[in-house]
Amino acid sequence: MSRVPLPYNPKILELFRNPKNLGKMKDATVTALAGSPACGDMIALYLKVSDDEVIEKVMFESYGCAANIATASITTELVKGKTMEKAWKVTWKVVADEVGGLPKIKYHCGILSVGALRRAIREFYKMKAKKPSWLPETLTLEEKHALEEEELAKVLSRKLKLAKSVKK
Amino acid sequence: MFNTSKIRLDFPILKSGIIYMDNAASSLTPEPVLQKMLEFYHDYRANVERGIHRFSQKASEEYEQVHRKVANFINAKSDDEIVLTKNTTESINIVANGLDWKKGDKVVTTLIEHHSNFITWLRLRKRFGIKVEVIKPDKEGIFDFKSFEEAIDDKTKLVAMTHISNVLGVITPVEKISELAHDHEALFLVDGAQSVPHLKVDVQKIGCDYLAFSGHKMLGPTGIGVLYMKKDLIERTQPLCIGGGTITKVSSDFYRLIEDSRKFEAGTPAIAEAIGLGAAIDYIARVGFDSLMDHERKLTEKICQGLRDIPEVEVYGPKDHKKRIGIVAFNIISLSPHDIALALDVSANIMVRSGHHCAMPLMNELLKKPEGCVRASLYLYNTVNEVNELISAVSEIAIS
Repeated sequence: MSRVPLPYNPKILELFRNPKNLGKMKDATVTALAGSPACGDMIALYLKVSDDEVIEKVMFESYGCAANIATASITTELVKGKTMEKAWKVTWKVVADEVGGLPKIKYHCGILSVGALRRAIREFYKMKAKKPSWLPETLTLEEKHALEEEELAKVLSRKLKLAKSVKK
Repeated sequence: MFNTSKIRLDFPILKSGIIYMDNAASSLTPEPVLQKMLEFYHDYRANVERGIHRFSQKASEEYEQVHRKVANFINAKSDDEIVLTKNTTESINIVANGLDWKKGDKVVTTLIEHHSNFITWLRLRKRFGIKVEVIKPDKEGIFDFKSFEEAIDDKTKLVAMTHISNVLGVITPVEKISELAHDHEALFLVDGAQSVPHLKVDVQKIGCDYLAFSGHKMLGPTGIGVLYMKKDLIERTQPLCIGGGTITKVSSDFYRLIEDSRKFEAGTPAIAEAIGLGAAIDYIARVGFDSLMDHERKLTEKICQGLRDIPEVEVYGPKDHKKRIGIVAFNIISLSPHDIALALDVSANIMVRSGHHCAMPLMNELLKKPEGCVRASLYLYNTVNEVNELISAVSEIAIS
C-alpha cells in the first residue's frame, strides 16, 4: 500500500477503476450533459426509455475525478429498470450514502450525476410535450449545481478513450 | 546568505508541518506584517486624509508612505503614479472602464491571460464594438515576436498582457512588446500579479503605461492591490468610483475632481491592509530579490526535474529554466487534478491548487486540458525537503 493513497473508501476506488455502464449510447432516447464550472468536471448521461416510461438502459461518460465517476456509476445502477418518476426521487444524498460516503469537498461531484439525470428526465418530457404532476416547476438543487457546458462535451469522448487506454 | 530556517520562524502557520505550495493563488503573511497592521488598530486607529487629531495624522502619514514605498519598489518616477486598489482585478478594471473606447479600437492580448486580464477586454467588445485580438504562444507558453508585430497596428489602443503566466510560470518579453506597442502609439498594460512578488519589476525599464498587482500574493494581506499608471495618463483615465477624498470642490450643482492619482481612491481605503502592504515590501526588500530568485530557481529546477522523471507525469511550461519562475503545472495521466490535490493534502500535508486556475482559454485551447491541471507554486519559505516530499508523494500517487 502506498503512503499517499487517494483519499476514498474502497467502494469508490473500485467503481473508479471499474465503472458500470460507462460509454456512449447510440440509441439513447434522451441525453443530458452536466458540468461544474467550479472544478471543470463534466459528465454525459444517456437514457433509453420504454413506451411505459421505464428506464431500460442507462450509460454515462465522464472525465471527472474518482468521486465523480463512482457516483455516476452508482446513479446509473440505481435508476436502471425504474420508472421515470421513481428515478426522479433519487437524490444526491441517496447516491452519496450508496457509495459509502464522500469526502466533504467532493459532495458536489455526487450532485453532478444526479443533476445530469434530472436534466435528462426534464428533457424527455419536454420532447414529449408532457408535464407529469410529480415534476417540479422550479429547478432542484441538483439541477442548479449541474450547469451545461457545451464545449467541454466535445472533448469528453476523446479524453475518456485516453484515460481508459492508460489505465490498462 | 539566504536563510530559510530563519525566514520560516516569521511564519508560525508553518509550525504544524504543512507544506504550502499554493503561493500563486495567495502567499502566507509573516509576523512583522501582521504586527504592523495590528499596530494601526492598537495605537492610532482613525481615518486618513480628513482629521486634524493626532491619530488621523499618524494614520494618514503611514498610508501616504505606502504610496512612496510602492513607487520605490517598482521604480516609478513619483508616488503620484501609484493608486492603491483592492487587488489586481480591480486595477485592470479601472483601466478597462476608465479609457474612452470607440468602435473599431483594438485591444491585443494573449491566450495565457488570467480571466481578470481577459474577460475585461471581451466585455468592451460587447459594450463598444472594439476588436480583441488574442495571441497564441507555443505549448510551453513562449511567444513568437512576429505574431505581435502582425497583431499590433495603428488601430491598437491597448496591449494587455501578463508578465508571468499563472499556470505555466513562463516569463514574457514585456520590454520588447512595450516598445512595439508604443511604436504604434498603443498603451501597454502589464499584469504583474505573478511577477512583482518574485522578481525585480522596474516599470521604467519595462516602459509600461500601467502595471497591476496584488498585495496578498507578496506576503501582504488580502484586500489591497496596486495600479501603477504613468503620470500623463492620470488625466486621461477616468476613475471607477468617485466620492469622498476625490474632489477639490463640490457645490449643490457642481463638483471638480482632484487632478492627481488620489481621484482613483474614493472613500475610506483599506488602511490597515495598505500599511500591511508597506510592511510586506519592507520584508521582501530585507530578503532581497537576488537571493530570493536564486532560492526559488534552485527549488523550481528540482521540482521540474523530479516530476519529469516520473513516467506517468506530464509537466507543462518552459523546459528552459531561465524562462520561468517557481510555478509548476502538471498532471498525472488518467487521474483528475482534483483527486491529486486532495490526495496531496489529506495524505501528505501538501497544499497545491487544481483545476483551470482562472485561465480557461489557456487550459482548453493551448494545453487542451479542459479538466485542468495541478499547480505547485513556491515562495521564499519553501525548502528542498518540501520539494522532495512533493516529488515522492506525486510518484506514489502515480503508481497507486
